[in-house]
Parts: sequence; structure tokens; C-alpha cells
Amino acid sequence: MNDRSPLELLATHPFTADLSEDQQAHLATCARIAHYAPDDYLLREGQPATAFYLIVSGLVSIELFVPGHGPRPLQTVEGGSAVGWSWMLAPSRWEFDARALEPTTAVVFDAEQLRALFREDCCLGLRLVQRLLFVVTERLKAARLQLLDLYGPPRER
Amino acid sequence: MASHMIIDVDGLGMLITLLQREGYRVIGPTLRDGAIGYDVISQVDDLPLGWEDEQDAGRYRVKQRQDTAVFGYAVGPHSWKRFLYPSPVVLWRARHSADGWRINQPAEDGARLAFLGVRSCDLHAIMVLDRVLLRGPYVDPSYAERRRQAFLVAVQCAHFTPRTCFCVSLGTGPRATHGFDLALTELVQPQTHRFVVEVGSARGAAILQQLPHRPAQPSDLAAAERAIAQTAASMGRQLQTAGLPAALLANLEHPHWDTIAQRCLACGNCTLVCPTCFCFTAEERTDLTGATTERIRHLDTCFTLSFTYTAGKSLRQSIRSRYRQWLTHKLATWVEQFGTFGCVGCGRCITWCPVGIDLTVEAATIASTGQTTKGVE
Amino acid sequence: MDHRALTTQVTGSPFVPLPFLVIGRRRETRDTVTLRLRSLCDATLHAQPGQFMMLSVYGIGEVPISISGLPRRPGELEHTIRAVGSVTRHLVALHRGDHIGVRGPFGTGWPLEAAYGQDVLLIAGGLGLAPLRSALVAILRERWRYRQVVVLYGARSPADLLYRRDLSGWQQRAKITVYVTVDHPDPSWRGQVGVVPNLIRQVTALFEPTNTVAMICGPEIMMRFTVRELQKHGIPDERIFLSLERNMQCGIGLCGHCQFGPFFLCKDGPVLPYSRLAPYRDIREL
Repeated sequence: MNDRSPLELLATHPFTADLSEDQQAHLATCARIAHYAPDDYLLREGQPATAFYLIVSGLVSIELFVPGHGPRPLQTVEGGSAVGWSWMLAPSRWEFDARALEPTTAVVFDAEQLRALFREDCCLGLRLVQRLLFVVTERLKAARLQLLDLYGPPRER
Repeated sequence: MASHMIIDVDGLGMLITLLQREGYRVIGPTLRDGAIGYDVISQVDDLPLGWEDEQDAGRYRVKQRQDTAVFGYAVGPHSWKRFLYPSPVVLWRARHSADGWRINQPAEDGARLAFLGVRSCDLHAIMVLDRVLLRGPYVDPSYAERRRQAFLVAVQCAHFTPRTCFCVSLGTGPRATHGFDLALTELVQPQTHRFVVEVGSARGAAILQQLPHRPAQPSDLAAAERAIAQTAASMGRQLQTAGLPAALLANLEHPHWDTIAQRCLACGNCTLVCPTCFCFTAEERTDLTGATTERIRHLDTCFTLSFTYTAGKSLRQSIRSRYRQWLTHKLATWVEQFGTFGCVGCGRCITWCPVGIDLTVEAATIASTGQTTKGVE
Repeated sequence: MDHRALTTQVTGSPFVPLPFLVIGRRRETRDTVTLRLRSLCDATLHAQPGQFMMLSVYGIGEVPISISGLPRRPGELEHTIRAVGSVTRHLVALHRGDHIGVRGPFGTGWPLEAAYGQDVLLIAGGLGLAPLRSALVAILRERWRYRQVVVLYGARSPADLLYRRDLSGWQQRAKITVYVTVDHPDPSWRGQVGVVPNLIRQVTALFEPTNTVAMICGPEIMMRFTVRELQKHGIPDERIFLSLERNMQCGIGLCGHCQFGPFFLCKDGPVLPYSRLAPYRDIREL
């Protein structure tokens, strides 16, 4: 995996696999590959949101740091999915932490270049925003189900 | 099978005595607390001679007749399940002693039951219960034993106005055609009060042999048929059954269920009087010392909140859902489960509903104003 | 409560429980134990994975509990019980050597034979792993009959995970795939956090939708969302099997409490293909 280029990874990642080769090539120009060891942070709450992450393999925890408690994982994101959308919305600061739980590989896009690319090619922009919306929806749906505490003691449900 | 015979009112009294002598506990209609119910009887005078009833949705009254007919009324609040499928029943009993617990099943009381005055709808109700409780894979042992022993004397419906009845719609009456040991058609005329007797079983024939009887004349048979036909023609309610199960299941979210729920008190009267409602609840009853415990079943109704209590909550919270469960079970899902409607058209649930909800009207409203049945089997 | 020797006059009545001996007890979580039982009078009893028994505590009551393992020998049973009500609290408090009453087995089992030659997805939420564990144990005994075997399991927290020892054993077997997720992790948890339906997209490469049999057991909402996710990935409704829970009181189709549409879940279920449940899918309070 280490020797594969961003373009090769974009060609197989579920988020981008069905885009045209041209579009993948455009995206690859603002992408790099990053590897994270367990407990490395991909992004931290409060920092400027300057990147977008497609997780290729590994496991990433979306979490908050709770004083006196440490990191409190809320959801995990596995290979094949995406992390981070704060870069699309002002003021572009991360609202949560994302920390690798396992050795993790990601394609990392530079947010500034990505925004520029979307302005230039609105079609590509729309397609990616739709996908991102799908990810957001799935994450929201999962959060709603978690809220129900489905497996709790019946009387407290 | 013997051809039709005639017995007179004395013969009816001898029938009761004879059945008692054969070891049967004879149960028949009797007037009590302003209603004609079923109870143990020992003579003709225990029957409601010269009484009839007036029924309508939410209304039941008895009044004196002009004649001395013995069976000149429709079905009352009781049905035969009261005796075939009594409540409560001890399912088993456990006693604790020095060696631990010892469990046994209490013996049945062994009484053989003879039912006098079973209407055609109620014969069909018993056949419905047979399908539910005897067809397996599991059989209710207490029902099976009572049912096997029971001697059924049917009565053809005649000489009254069947206001809340709709057995014609369901093909369950008013003529009793099978499932009885003997069937009586009452002929009540100023001078002659007598009964045409049909034999439905060898057991029935053996009993009839011991009664003073004479062959029925063609005129007797014609009078009997006229009386039954008159009942059929004056049926007060009807239910369109063709396509009804599918129509109801296609409309489980019909707004009319809410309309019914605004009237329904969820009192469960309809299930109490229904001759086919069989649901029960089992519970454990322990004496104060903890040395004996009994598992008891008693009839329950799908109208209570506790009926669907599962893992800490009731699954049918709204009255809407409970009424819907009852009606769609009777008229739709029962068919899929047991190959017959769970309703025999006796009309008891209409009469005894305190707010007069009429299932024939409600089912027709749902079926006729709802979505078509396309896509639902 | 005295749980010593117990005898039953054999009556043939389906309502009368038969005496069983508790031969093993294992604590699974804070409120859940697994009991192993042996019949004191019927050594031939054989319950199928997916079926349930009625377990009786004298003087307290009776509850339906599914089979959670396969017996080491005929006449034995394994049940995982969570203390949630008065009867289950008593069951959880039983010890080796105690006696209880048992009726059954009742109901339909998991479609193990229909899954021969197929990919198998076992999807469990919470205590729903208990009935599926019996299916998994049966599958592992005849592993060669099946293609891919995937277990997806969601629990409330790491402390609520059932069969922890089994799980790690299963995970180490190369021939089955196990994914576990929790809603609320503790500081030591390094695994997935989230809901069970999310696990399905992670294993799509492992199954061929039209040659897959999926077996699901868990809270109703979890099953609803899981079914939708399986449908999205092309698994036909008739290949999706659910185990449903209602208040079975008699276990034999006579008391009426467990009715769901045209089904008495105690005899037509608890395991039913989704294709038969689909017409009633969106009906509330059915």
C-alpha cells in the first residue's frame, strides 16, 4: 500500500471510484497519502480545518477530550469512508478530534486547493458534496440510533 | 340415521332427565338477572318458557311472549366456551416438601356435559374452537376432554327476530346441519307445542330411542323449514365476507380505526361474550407459606394494556391498535391461521358493547372506503 | 427459594414443566448469566438453534428463553439469561445443583440447512447474540457446509459484550469473520464505536448477496435498520431471517399473546423470513 500513488487509491476508494479518470486525476493533484500510527491525531478540535480525509485502511475514532476522562470516542470510521467536513463551512475549524486507533492510511486533500477545484468544476464539486452529504447522513443516522440506547435495560429504555 | 321424529314438551323434560341419568350435567338456557344465559338445569321449567329477548347494538332486554315457546329468543351473553373452556383452570400444582418440589396436574372433575339449546352459530363456534385448541401441534388437554364427552342438543333458530344476528352472511346458520347429536326445531302452535327432532350421531339416536317419539309428518317438516327460513329472511345484520380479509389487511392504517377508538372503551365485553375468543393469561399463585404454588390460566382479552406486555412495555398502547387487533383477528388473520373466520355471526359483541359498536358496520366501512387490496395477499 | 430435587408426575400436558438440573453457570456480564441444564427425565430432548424453552421458577412464574448453545449431549440445554424481571432475576440467581422446570422446545429454528453452500451473515444486537450463538456453534461444527461466515455484533458497552471468551476464539479462527461495535466505549476499548448496520458495508466484499443467508436478532429498531442496509446491498427478503420477541406465555399457540399479524410467534416464529414479515413492516402497534 505504501508504494501506491494518490491516483491509484482514488481509483479504488468507494468515495471516488466511479468518478471519471479526468476527475480522479484532478483530485489527485491536491491529494497526498498519509500514514498514522495508533493514537496519532488526524485532526484536533479547535484547529483550522485545512484538509479532507478519505480513509483507505485502518480505524479512526471521532471523539471529544473530556477533562478528567480522557478521549471519549463517539463513533469510529473505517477504511472506505471519509473524515472531516468542517473545511467546507466557515469558520473552518475542527469541532471534534479524529484519532487513529489502528495503523491507518488516508488520502489527504488540501482544503484550499479542493475548494478552488470545486469553483472551477462545479459538476465535480456537486458530486463530491452529494457523497459527503451521504456520509454525513449515515453518521447522523448512526448517532440517532446510538441515542436510543437500544441495548440498555428494557425498563430504562 | 333415523328420519325426523316428533317429541312433545314432556318429551323434552324426559330428555333432560334421561341425559342426567346417563351421567351428564345438563346445561341449558335459563332466565337469570334479566338475561337468558346458560346454566345447569334439571327440568323443563328451568328453561325460559314464554320469554323472548329484544336486542340491538348496546341493548338487551327480555320480555314475555304471547306464547309458551321454550327457545323463542336469540343467543344471550353466555356461550358454551364457558363450560368447554372454563376460566380459571389450574394447569398444574406444585407442592414443596422435604424432598423438594413435586408437581402434578389436577385431575379433571370428570363431569360429562350435555348442552341443550345450542344454536347453529354456536355449533360453528365450537368447531372454530376445535380448530384452534385441538388441531395441534399442541392440544389443550382440558378442552379436549370436555369436548370429547359433550353431548350437543342443537336448537334450530325460529320464532324470534334476529336483530343483531348475521349468521347467514358467514354461512353458519340459522340452520344447524351438522356437529350435533340431536337437533330440535320448535313448533309452537296454539294447540300443539312439539319439537321436530333430527339425529346427528349414533349417541343421539340411542338417546332418542329411549324417548316417546313418533315419526314427523310432511306438514311438520314443512312448518319447521318455514320457521327456519323466516329467521334467515329476517336477519338484522349482514357482513360482506368476500375479499374481506385482504381488504382489512390492506387498511391497517385506515383513519377509521381512530374514529372507532374514540368510542371504544377497551372494556373487553366483546371478547367476554364472543364464543370463539380463546386468549388466556397464565399466572402463578402461591400460598402464604410458599409450600404450594399453582399455575392458573384465566381468559384474557386483547383489549387490556397488559396483553402485549413484553420486556417492560406494552406493544399495543393505543385503543385503536387493540380494537384493530381484535377485529382483524376475527375477520382476517384468523382465516390465514385456521382456515375459517373467527366470527360466526352470533352478534353478541354488537349487543353487549356498552357503546354499541357494530363490527359489521366498522368492517364494511374500512373495507369499502379503504385502499384497494392490490399488493397484499 | 428452595431449588432442590423435584419430581413431576408425567402427564402429557403441554403446560406441565419437566424437572431439569442446573449443571453449570457462567457469568457473562453484570446482569447476565449462562446456565447449562440437564433433563432429569428426558435424555432424548433435542432443541434446535433458534428455538426457545419456557423456564419456570416455582412460585414466581415462567419465561421464554431461547437456546444459546448446542448441548454436549442430548437432554442438555444452554440458556443465556438477563435479569430484567422477577422471573429472570430468580433464574440468574440459580446455582449448580438447583432444579428448575422446563417446557419445550418450541417454535421455529434458524434456517441452517437452507444456508448450506451459502455465505452466512449472523447479525446480533445486545442480548440478540444469545439465540445466534446456538446457530454459530452449529455452523462451526459443520463449517465445511458453508462458504463465508460473518458475525456482526453490536453491544451497549464493552462490559456488556456477551461470550467474551468465545468471541476472541471465534475472531482467531481464520475461517470466520467477526466484527464487533459498541455504542459507549470505555477507556480501554480500541475497537469500533457505532451501530451494527454500519458494519455491513465493511463486509460487502465477503458475501454474494443472492447466495447469502442473513440471520438477525436484536432490538426491533436495530433489526429494522439492519434489514434496510441488507436490502441496499441486494440481499433478497426471503434470505433475511429475523428472530422476533413477544410475550410468549404458553409457547404452544394457544394463549394468543404473541400474535403479530397472522403469526403466533411462539409456533410460526420466533424465526421468520423477512419476506413474510414485510407486509406488516410499517404497521404501528401491530
